[in-house]
Amino acid sequence: MKILTYKIAILALLVCLFMPISCTKSFLTQTNTFQSTAAGTFTTSSSVVGLVNAIYDSYQNADLLKKSMWYYANFQTHDWFNYGADIVWNNYQINSNFGALSTFWNNGYIAIARANAAFGIIATAKAQGVVTPALADRLTGEAYFLRGMTYYYLAGAFGGVPLELNAITSGLTPRSTQDQVFTQVVADMQKAEGLLLSKTTLPASELGRATKGAAYGYEGAAQMWLKNYAAALTAFNNPELTANYHLLPNFVTVHEFDHQNNDESLFEIQFDVQGSQSWDGGWQNGGEVAWIDDFSWPEEVDNFGYDYGNPGLYLSYQPGDTRKLVTIIGPGDSSLSPGIIKRGGIRSYPEVISGFAANNPKYIGSDGKIINTVGTLTNPWYGVSDQLRSGYYCAKKWRDPTLTGNSGNQVIFGSQNQILLRYAEILLDRAECKIHTGDVAGAMADIALVRNRAFGGTAPAVMQDGANYDGSPSTPITDPMQMVLSEYRHELTGEYSLFFNLRRAGPGVAAAFIHNAYGTDGTSTPQPNPAPGPTHDGKAHGVWRTALPAGRDLLPIPQVAIGLNPNLTQNPGY
Amino acid sequence: MKKLLFFKKLKRIQGPILLFILLLSGFNALAQNKAINGKVSGEDGLGLPGVSVKVKGTTIGTLTDGSGRYKISVPPTGTLEFSYLGYTTSELPIGSDNIYNITLAATTKQLNEVTVVSIGYGNSKKTDLTGSISSINAATIAKVPVTTVEQALQGRAAGVQVTNNDASPGGNVTVLVRGTGSLASGGNNPLYIVDGYPFQGGINNINPSDIASIDVLKDASATAIYGIRAANGVVIINTKRGRKDGVQISVDAYSAFQSKPKEYKVLNAFDWGTLANQVAAADLQHNFTELPIWKTPSALTNADWQNAVYRVGQTQNYSLAIRGGNEKVQSAVSFGFYDQKGIVLGSYFKRLTLGVNLDYQAKSWLKSATNVKYTYQDANNPFGTGSLVQLSQLVPTLDSGNKVTNLIKDNKGNYGFYNPQNTYVAKYGNPVFTIEQNQYQNITNFLLANSSLEATIFDGLKVRTNAGVNLSQYSGSFYQPQDDRSDQQYGLGGATQNAFYSQHLYNSFEWLWENTLSYDKQFGKHAINFIAGVSAQKTTNDFMGGSGIPPNSSIRDLSQVSNLKLDGYNSSGGPGNGQTITTLESQFARLTYKYGDKYLITGTVRRDGSSKFDVGHQYGVFPTGAVAWKAKEENFLKDVNWLNDLKFRGSYGKVGNQGPIGLYQYQAAFSTGSAPATSGNLGYPFGKNGSGNGTYQPGDAEAQPANPNLRWETDYQTDIGMDAAFLKGELNVTVDYYHRKSKDFLLNLAAPAQSGHLSLTQNVGSMLNTGLEFALNYNHQVNKDFHFGTALTLSFIKNKLTSLISGANFVTNFGGLSVAGIGWSTFTETNIGQPVGEFYGYKTNGIFQTQAQIDALNATAAAKNPSNPYYQFAATAPGDRYFVDTKGDGQVTTNSQVSLGSPIPKFFGGLNLDFSYKNWDFNAYFYGVYGNKILNYEESSLESFQNRSFVGVENVSQDYFKNRWTSTNPSNKYAQAKYNDDAVGSNVPSDRWIEDGSFLKLKNLTIGYTIPTDVTKKLFVKKIRIYGATQNLFTITKYSGLDPEIGLQNGNATQNGVDSGTYPSSKYYTIGLNLTF
Repeated sequence: MKILTYKIAILALLVCLFMPISCTKSFLTQTNTFQSTAAGTFTTSSSVVGLVNAIYDSYQNADLLKKSMWYYANFQTHDWFNYGADIVWNNYQINSNFGALSTFWNNGYIAIARANAAFGIIATAKAQGVVTPALADRLTGEAYFLRGMTYYYLAGAFGGVPLELNAITSGLTPRSTQDQVFTQVVADMQKAEGLLLSKTTLPASELGRATKGAAYGYEGAAQMWLKNYAAALTAFNNPELTANYHLLPNFVTVHEFDHQNNDESLFEIQFDVQGSQSWDGGWQNGGEVAWIDDFSWPEEVDNFGYDYGNPGLYLSYQPGDTRKLVTIIGPGDSSLSPGIIKRGGIRSYPEVISGFAANNPKYIGSDGKIINTVGTLTNPWYGVSDQLRSGYYCAKKWRDPTLTGNSGNQVIFGSQNQILLRYAEILLDRAECKIHTGDVAGAMADIALVRNRAFGGTAPAVMQDGANYDGSPSTPITDPMQMVLSEYRHELTGEYSLFFNLRRAGPGVAAAFIHNAYGTDGTSTPQPNPAPGPTHDGKAHGVWRTALPAGRDLLPIPQVAIGLNPNLTQNPGY
Repeated sequence: MKKLLFFKKLKRIQGPILLFILLLSGFNALAQNKAINGKVSGEDGLGLPGVSVKVKGTTIGTLTDGSGRYKISVPPTGTLEFSYLGYTTSELPIGSDNIYNITLAATTKQLNEVTVVSIGYGNSKKTDLTGSISSINAATIAKVPVTTVEQALQGRAAGVQVTNNDASPGGNVTVLVRGTGSLASGGNNPLYIVDGYPFQGGINNINPSDIASIDVLKDASATAIYGIRAANGVVIINTKRGRKDGVQISVDAYSAFQSKPKEYKVLNAFDWGTLANQVAAADLQHNFTELPIWKTPSALTNADWQNAVYRVGQTQNYSLAIRGGNEKVQSAVSFGFYDQKGIVLGSYFKRLTLGVNLDYQAKSWLKSATNVKYTYQDANNPFGTGSLVQLSQLVPTLDSGNKVTNLIKDNKGNYGFYNPQNTYVAKYGNPVFTIEQNQYQNITNFLLANSSLEATIFDGLKVRTNAGVNLSQYSGSFYQPQDDRSDQQYGLGGATQNAFYSQHLYNSFEWLWENTLSYDKQFGKHAINFIAGVSAQKTTNDFMGGSGIPPNSSIRDLSQVSNLKLDGYNSSGGPGNGQTITTLESQFARLTYKYGDKYLITGTVRRDGSSKFDVGHQYGVFPTGAVAWKAKEENFLKDVNWLNDLKFRGSYGKVGNQGPIGLYQYQAAFSTGSAPATSGNLGYPFGKNGSGNGTYQPGDAEAQPANPNLRWETDYQTDIGMDAAFLKGELNVTVDYYHRKSKDFLLNLAAPAQSGHLSLTQNVGSMLNTGLEFALNYNHQVNKDFHFGTALTLSFIKNKLTSLISGANFVTNFGGLSVAGIGWSTFTETNIGQPVGEFYGYKTNGIFQTQAQIDALNATAAAKNPSNPYYQFAATAPGDRYFVDTKGDGQVTTNSQVSLGSPIPKFFGGLNLDFSYKNWDFNAYFYGVYGNKILNYEESSLESFQNRSFVGVENVSQDYFKNRWTSTNPSNKYAQAKYNDDAVGSNVPSDRWIEDGSFLKLKNLTIGYTIPTDVTKKLFVKKIRIYGATQNLFTITKYSGLDPEIGLQNGNATQNGVDSGTYPSSKYYTIGLNLTF
């Protein structure tokens, strides 16, 4: 009996011996109750929608939109210049350590990664019935659209970039060629075209989301980069574009604050003021949430201001072109923006009111009353702190009547959406394609659509700049391609497309076009305005004439990105 | 009397139990053989464990168990041979008896070699070790009154660097076994095993008086049995157990006074006012405005902040232990109370410990051991390291502040405060007010209990199960009353500071279950020792806590506060509100083979599965091997008399470190980002039309990427060692060389954006530690009355980072060391090829003396770089610090910063000296480090008139005041005093603040007297010893700060050796009493 006890006891211990081994597999698998996992999160349709919302969100960034895309689209053309810390753009001395380029790169790839991550999760949610097939399609289409659009801008500015198409990646992929990237853009947009909602079916509450039309627009633009002009035309001619979008009758209204998400806009980045609109709000908080159009205003109005225009652009508008003063505004010009006029005009800004009260001559109009123009012909607004601005400012970026700038109650950051692509550009793109495919007459018809609107009905038969940059008489533009480029400039400058489109037109085209427009030369410092007019005083007021150096039509790959991914190569010329 | 009755009862039942055991053990009697048993004792009557019992001339043999007992089945005739190292081999003829007890006589030589060492899941004779293990016994621990186990280790174990990071009550100690093996915060802690129960983290809940032995497992071969937790070494602590030979009651008590610390010599109000006037007068830009009263220095009332906050400390420690038992049952009961009042106002540490160890030989083949430890801790340190730098910074006068008093605290209990309307002092608080008015609670209850059952299946084969629980319960709260004094007196409106209340509860429950099978057998010249086992451990942590503004001064209820903010979770382990579970599941085995008592080979492997990693990546296997050669046993050395022992050891293996890796870091985590109105939100507005607003729709994105390949850090370690004994075994020397390569640190580093994240937590980098360890022990009984002993440990170490991640050659300091000031965000840089945590900053070339000197440098700079035509700064003027253009580009820029030295000592060690003469005993213990640098941030603060982090002014040292550069005192060491110091950067990290950190400290000096036994007998006491001791009596150092003993702040190797105003150490004077009944 006792031996039995012993044996039972020993046996029991031996059994014990192996018990911890036989712990269930789940013993080592614990549940994370502090962080949201994919399985725990995407159980409702709103959370799956949130996944795609976050891709849009990566564009709510001033360094990406303003200091990278907008700078590239506009400073590279010399139509506009920077005053402040980023003047390296004015003479093409931007280098690979320019901070905002990293934001462009980083936010771009974060948007792409969010899209890549979304595909699988949406598919799972669809399979599990969390989202309806229709919603899943729309969301998948949006993710394809946003990925394609991001690659469009990255490749447009940097040339070939790494193609990341999977949810999990080490991020060490080398660069693809520019054509490979645009081929991917085409593929993404084509998928999006089949999945997105039409503008006609998009609920009002979802305005701002990508539509089929927008996808056709970007597909066409990408086909143009690939020189597939026929394919581009097919995209541009799709009824989703031609039937659902149209030019607004008045050019001025396109960029008005009360016309956001209008019928001409294919895609715009949405902003919405929440919280503080002063310095502690948008910009210093990362540049998200609110927008910063008043950085383009005269210092005399907003008590800061960083961008200003080239007097040559002002001169180049053909007489009668209604786009001129709602694009660039200079000495003696009042604002023609209905929104600004309604707010009381330039004279309604606190800085102007207090300046006038203090008898500051800058704020006394030519009639002796409080000024309502951007300086006067005899006293241009070159800036308060020094005299290093040109006296001309971007009227496209002076539409939000709620802003006061860095004065008064400091309403600096607003909520105006930023239009990335609109129907007028599609028409001009289409014209370029038609030229390449031999349909010059068709091209002229498309250009005419844009120009007729610009001239308030019928455009002059002869296309000719108002004057050359130096004030000398211009000559008619007769070359169809030059006509398209000129229209790109006059229609789209100050927006998000111009230099992209100039570079897309082919090697050397941009440099030649800018040289022709501004007589660019070997100087790398500001030059006096050569043209007669109010700012022709022989002094340098921030107008550069530096010629676009070879290779500088591309932006440098951010040095930080190269440091973290040694497989990246730098663009030649940097 | 009751105790006696208990033992009498035990004796009464002893007989039947023994009979029962005999009956049970009879089962394995074979037909031809008979079963015999017995006990092998030493001359002191105590059982000798591990004695080889053999039938002479056969392979039949066994070893005695822990209590010296053995059982063996023997032929009817023959001779029993009892052999044990250090004892004379004895024989007994086998007769008709069944019980053969024997007493072995000790051979005089090598007596101290019979030490048994814990090696994890078993013991080994020290002479049979193949790995590198340092051991410390109870007698050594008892020599210095310490608060924590870690402090008892300092200087005692070669290769183990113990640093008191500061001298705050309760101990803030870093233990590094064989250098820094991890770059991650908190990644260098060793694993502690207390009575067989493993846990990581500080162990200041163990009463040092209870400790019987500490064995520090250092090389991979020794630590590998603990696999994934072994890379930073394993410290095995065994507490004192009961005795078989009656009862012993011991009482230890001591009381200590701790002197006020050394103070920085800062300016008094008069000198400070004078300095403020001089700076104001010299400041042409009028960057700083004085209070009117400062303009009359003689009218100022002095506020001596150091004097107000430092005090004499007091410590009381009482331990009572009853240890006793008999052959079957042994128990040890202990009680401890420790109460320290720190030298900084408000700091204290109280600890109550209760412990029971119970061993029970239930059957001859079955025994159990149970250990229970309970600890209550109440500690507080409201104004310690990081805050103390303020004491030398605060302006030394409170004049024109509180209209009631300008004293720090007057005799009516009113506190002075700084003038709330003067920008330059308004932000300062009165620390005495803060410490005395705030209410703190930090109470922790610990319970550690484990119980094992061990059965002997047959001779040599044992099966053992061990189960335990480890509970920890923390309750903390903090209350800060509303402060509206400036409103009451100055009408500034609102409260200067709202009331604040926070409360936190952390509960930790952990269980452990381990089962082992062991086989220990000698076959002629062959001996094997094998153990294999399985283990499972599960830790559940619960956190709750939050804070807010309480409605009044009495409410301590989070549900009634306004602005309630609940604690947020962070992936490195909380706190938060919720529960985390960590599990570990393991299998392990170790085989030691010995041939002819000359050649030993050990192989160890552990396979650990951890819940910290993803499914499919949870298991790590850690194999090691070791060999040893007992050269002394060879014929050619056997007769070499001057050499009493010689052994060579070598080992190689791989071990892991999962300590710094948080939970679920392998898993993708999604987040909705921050609030809609803020940056970092992930949502987007839709539905906007015209000028109307849209509707914000929340977004959701991956905040933490999936990293399924996440793994533990791995160490590859080689060890070559030698043990030798001379002078009849009185002199023992151990030397070890090691090569420790650590890799795969878990770091959050910048990542390519194409990965979708700007930073990723990943396994990167590698580091190499090589070192030489040297330990010497000498014990000599000169004559009957006089004994002399000395012990020396020396550890030499070299550390370097060997690789990092693609695109990065270095990492800067990460972690939250509170050093404020321009340029102080980066003060160390760890570069590939260089030691971890090297100080980083500017080289200096004294002080600029003339404008011409600056102009010449500016001219050169302008020629090389027209866009920034300055050598240093535009504002640099004579009297400012002159930095070296190390890159030769004509300028001093951030690129000019270079390595300024390493905080890692070239060597460190301890020297222990013991004498006893008749009834007197004497101990002196020195600890020292050599060849390390200290970054003296405190000194930079003492030379800064401008506040380091905000608009304000601060106090400076007398040295600086007297010797600073002025146009009439062209100092080349001290820069001029100016308010806009930030504009010229005289106080940025530079070699001006780098000092030699070498020191030698007399850690302890004790003189004890044991009262003669003829006196004590009359008092029915076995032993009475009284002693007086002093700690930190002197420190020999060139370091100019208060104390050169400065360690890793927050367990982070990248911020080591920075003196940021640490809680200072001072001298202790202790009187103690040891009583044994």
